[in-house]
Amino acid sequence: MNKELQERLSLLQYQPDEKWQHVTILDQTICRDCKNKQCLTFCPSGVFRENSQEKQPLLILYKQCVECGGCRLICDNIDFSYPKGGYGVTFLEG
Amino acid sequence: MLKHWYQAKKPQKIGKYNNAHYDTSNREKYDAIVVGAGPAGASAAYFMAKQGLNVLLLERGPFPGAKVCGGTSLISEHTHKLFPNFWDECPCERIVTQQAYWFMTEDSLLSTSFQSTKLAAAPYNHITVKRKLFYQWLVDKGMAVGVDIHFNHHVTEVLFENNQAVGVQVSSPQKCQFFANIIILADGANAMVGQRSGLVPRVSPQDLALYVKETIALPAKVIEERFNLLPGYGSLIGVLGYPTAGFNGTSSIHTFKDCINLNVGMAISDFAISGIRPYDLLDRIKKHPLIKPLLLGGTVLEYGAAVIPEGGYHAVPELVHPGLMILGDAGSLVNGTHGINLAMWSGFFAAQAANESKKSRDFSIEKLSLYRTLLDESFIMQDLKANAKIASLQRDLPYLFDLYSKIVNQTAFHVAKVYTMPKKAKRIFIFKKITSIQPLLKMASDIWKVLKVVKG
Repeated sequence: MNKELQERLSLLQYQPDEKWQHVTILDQTICRDCKNKQCLTFCPSGVFRENSQEKQPLLILYKQCVECGGCRLICDNIDFSYPKGGYGVTFLEG
Repeated sequence: MLKHWYQAKKPQKIGKYNNAHYDTSNREKYDAIVVGAGPAGASAAYFMAKQGLNVLLLERGPFPGAKVCGGTSLISEHTHKLFPNFWDECPCERIVTQQAYWFMTEDSLLSTSFQSTKLAAAPYNHITVKRKLFYQWLVDKGMAVGVDIHFNHHVTEVLFENNQAVGVQVSSPQKCQFFANIIILADGANAMVGQRSGLVPRVSPQDLALYVKETIALPAKVIEERFNLLPGYGSLIGVLGYPTAGFNGTSSIHTFKDCINLNVGMAISDFAISGIRPYDLLDRIKKHPLIKPLLLGGTVLEYGAAVIPEGGYHAVPELVHPGLMILGDAGSLVNGTHGINLAMWSGFFAAQAANESKKSRDFSIEKLSLYRTLLDESFIMQDLKANAKIASLQRDLPYLFDLYSKIVNQTAFHVAKVYTMPKKAKRIFIFKKITSIQPLLKMASDIWKVLKVVKG
């Protein structure tokens, strides 16, 4: 991952949900054939990452999501909902 | 275009009127449930409880403002009308005495700035606040008048009975339901609850902007020196042109007590098409030769991202449903850079409608439409209407901010620069320079389009 982003994300406080993933891909085969992969550049916290595996062309690093919710609008294959109560990111500085 | 329009107009009827019969006899039933403890939800809860309603406020974060970020300021007179002399009790950061717009290119900056000590006297104009502290203050006010609040409660959808909203479903770990006569959705720009319940259409990626922010710590004295401010006072700067790398978007600088908030963003669709990484825009601004000295020596405290509705009047969905009202960002009630005051006022209006409904024990769409009427009669809808064409103008002229920032900076450069040629020749030279960037007729047509929108 991009070093600048890594540094930025390290400043944030997260309560990761180990049992439930709030961002998912509906159909990985669509991603395999997708030429644009806008999710890779769009996500402000780099949740989507390319994977060399044929079966799972995208990795979802949902634990670093900042919950902006934008991804669900750029791709119909992304299923986004907010994390369950008490989990996810917290912003402190306004 | 057409596809987006169609999607925006067509609600996705996933769970709408998922009718069931709920046994509410053995459960506590509230007068109203508010989803989301932001400015809209917390204001609605406060004003309802103040009028004697039994209110439950549900928030998915562990504290108010935990799930949102971005530098912000209150519009003082609007807030003062709702919460008289709020500045005495509310945790304010800086009273804004300098408001500026900066038009930037990669090497220049043309600033229009207004600074006045008049703005330093009550009732002030803008006051910068930190979201967490301000939201907490609003929620505390609600709690003082008896609002029940549950944090870490994530509402997933609305429960209906005979097409009437009667309650909300909370996700696990609580996995419970709450029931009330009136449901108020103030769950923010993504409006996920309304969407999942089939009340709000899916937002178009053109109508929602993604903003990234960085909070950069600097000593208060340094901020005051660099921005030419008296102690305790602040500036609010909108930056156009360079920050959004050729697209129509905005950047802003908010001064807080001992930090600066740098925001930049544009429409989600523009990010998606351009392939620009949102945080790269932040890096780009921070490296700009004229911005860099302002931030020198600062340490980044926090990074974040959030979405803001920018569709304006035409993107406002149906706000009143049987037993249910939609407030603030969830109802796309954002006018340019104004959001929080619209949110708080929509909370206030919804509280009036809720109170009238309770009095008459009538929770129908007709009764709750008082909310919509109050909105229509207020500055909220009137201002949104007046600015209704801005969203389409930005789509019509995708080069608007970038190109004209370049033109004004070019002009300013040649005007400022002293040449050895005679004055008259210089004027012709400047004219030729400008019209070489954008032909005169094209420029005239752009200006005409902008004027038409401003005229309303």
